[in-house]
Amino acid sequence: MKGVVFVELIRMAESVMGEEAVDDILESVDLESDGAFSVVGNYPCSELMALVDAFGTYLDAPVDALQAKFGHWMFARFVEGYPAFFEGKHDGFDMLDSIENEVHVEVRKLYPEVELPTFATERPGEGQLKMVYASERPLQHFCRGMLESCMDHFGHTYTVDMQESSAQGQHRAEFLVQKVA
Amino acid sequence: MYLGEQVGSTPDHVSRRRYLRERKGREEAERLLEAKSRELYEANQRLTKLAETLETAVHLRTAELETARVAAEAANEAKSVFLASMSHEIRTPLNGILGMAQALDDSGLTQAQHQLVTVLGESGRLLLSIINDVLDISKIEAGKFDLETVAYSLPELARVMCQHHRVAAEEKGLQFEVTIDDSAKVMAETDPTRLQQVVGNLLSNAVKFTDSGRVSLHMTLEEARNGKAWLKMTVTDSGPGIAKSQQPRLFQRFSQANTSITRMHGGTGLGLAISRRICELMGGSISVKSDAGKGATFVAKVQVVPLKERTPADASLSEVKEVVTLEGLRVLAAEDNKTNQLVLRHMLKKAQVQLTIVPDGKQAIETWSAGAFDMVLMDINMPVMDGLEATRLIREAERAAMKEAVPIIAVSANAMVHQVAGYLSEGMTGHVSKPVSRAVLVEAMIKALEEKRSRGADP
Repeated sequence: MKGVVFVELIRMAESVMGEEAVDDILESVDLESDGAFSVVGNYPCSELMALVDAFGTYLDAPVDALQAKFGHWMFARFVEGYPAFFEGKHDGFDMLDSIENEVHVEVRKLYPEVELPTFATERPGEGQLKMVYASERPLQHFCRGMLESCMDHFGHTYTVDMQESSAQGQHRAEFLVQKVA
Repeated sequence: MYLGEQVGSTPDHVSRRRYLRERKGREEAERLLEAKSRELYEANQRLTKLAETLETAVHLRTAELETARVAAEAANEAKSVFLASMSHEIRTPLNGILGMAQALDDSGLTQAQHQLVTVLGESGRLLLSIINDVLDISKIEAGKFDLETVAYSLPELARVMCQHHRVAAEEKGLQFEVTIDDSAKVMAETDPTRLQQVVGNLLSNAVKFTDSGRVSLHMTLEEARNGKAWLKMTVTDSGPGIAKSQQPRLFQRFSQANTSITRMHGGTGLGLAISRRICELMGGSISVKSDAGKGATFVAKVQVVPLKERTPADASLSEVKEVVTLEGLRVLAAEDNKTNQLVLRHMLKKAQVQLTIVPDGKQAIETWSAGAFDMVLMDINMPVMDGLEATRLIREAERAAMKEAVPIIAVSANAMVHQVAGYLSEGMTGHVSKPVSRAVLVEAMIKALEEKRSRGADP
């Protein structure tokens, strides 16, 4: 997994619980990288899950909620770092549609070996968008956080219904987003 | 923006463990970047090497192509030279064969012998036309086909065509008709030889393939832009026609409408291909309208420059030109080849001219100044002194003695357009190309005499 995810997770944790607490946690968790993450490196996803677990324990917060919060954080970083992807988009649904066919295409150009989740979208009805998250990584709540941030970014009022259906190392979640007038 | 600073405890002091972790992270990043930049460098080197190899390959290939091109051009040049020299070499003995056949025919033969000699003559003339066709197509392909531009009376074209094809058509029982629109009764700048070749080819095809009915030639002139005009020569016949499916092949070289025609009528299949290229070189085109069983109409269209201020000699007058006679004409001929001498002698025997033959240009001058001659027939390539030099010296002597210019007709085998133009500018009156046919020679001699007379009639 790309180093940028780890670096941002540490930054978020530091902003929430401070450097001392983060340093303590990094020492307590058994990490091959010793928590010395850099943006240019690649690290196992298991270290991300272990850190999220440890932060949850420290904060006494559910892991799913933490993942979602991290999703919000990351979306803010994307808005800041990659404005090009947002150009010409005036609707949260359009943005979500474009992840699979625009954003991921660009990512693959830079990192041909990368393993990306899929985000299949469809528009089942008026003001509705269905997105299916599928990945080897259990990051469906991280995905939810990103999705929510995206809808917020474009100023929508909406509801999200999430149905998980993970099985045998393949993680899958269906999100039904309904715009509220 | 480092959000940790907003929350962190003491930004001025960093713990040892945090410092060590950050350093480890940095070193790891440096190691990764080092490996990446090495990969990039190596990839770059490979690309550079590949580019060099490609460049070398391109150079090599270019050199190979250049060699091949030079070789191909040399081979093509050799082919052209070979064709030109072979056709020249073949024409000279052919001159002898045709001339002797003619002479033999004139020597009082029995009917059976006359028929044999006629076949001999026809075969020789066919061979000559094949050689001329092959030479023409090779010149066209080599881009060395020169067109001349001289003032020419368009009614003269009609007259010549009539003269050349009427007999053959009428012998087959065909009605033969040549008409010329008033618009075309003018002088125009064009290449008369090539016009005659194109129309002659269309007419001889028409006569060849038509067994009953009629063959006709109609000429019109339509004004075009820039002082030019379209000369349209339409040849119509009531022959078997050409099926639409076979028409596209018609103008391709070595191709006739179908192969059985070749067996029936002979021919190289070059005539129409040459005609088409000539029309194209003259800025025009050639087209056919026909279908099986419906006869054929060929239209040859070329660009000419009409000369409005000049009026052509009355074409009908030339019909009675035959009153001019060569009888008793004192003719000096310079010709080194013994066979050709014999040909000339026999050819002019019937015309009852007084013929004196000398073997080179020097003796021609000596004989000319010693005697009185009405006309000179001058071979071009001769030992001791060539025909051009002899002509120049004769003209000089005439000017010095204030004598009237004697008509000098060039008789040569290598009759390229620019060469003929050269002969005329060197003071020659006309040109006849070998192998000489009696009709053409006599016509040229009569034409020269007429010109001399009309000059003499001038005030």
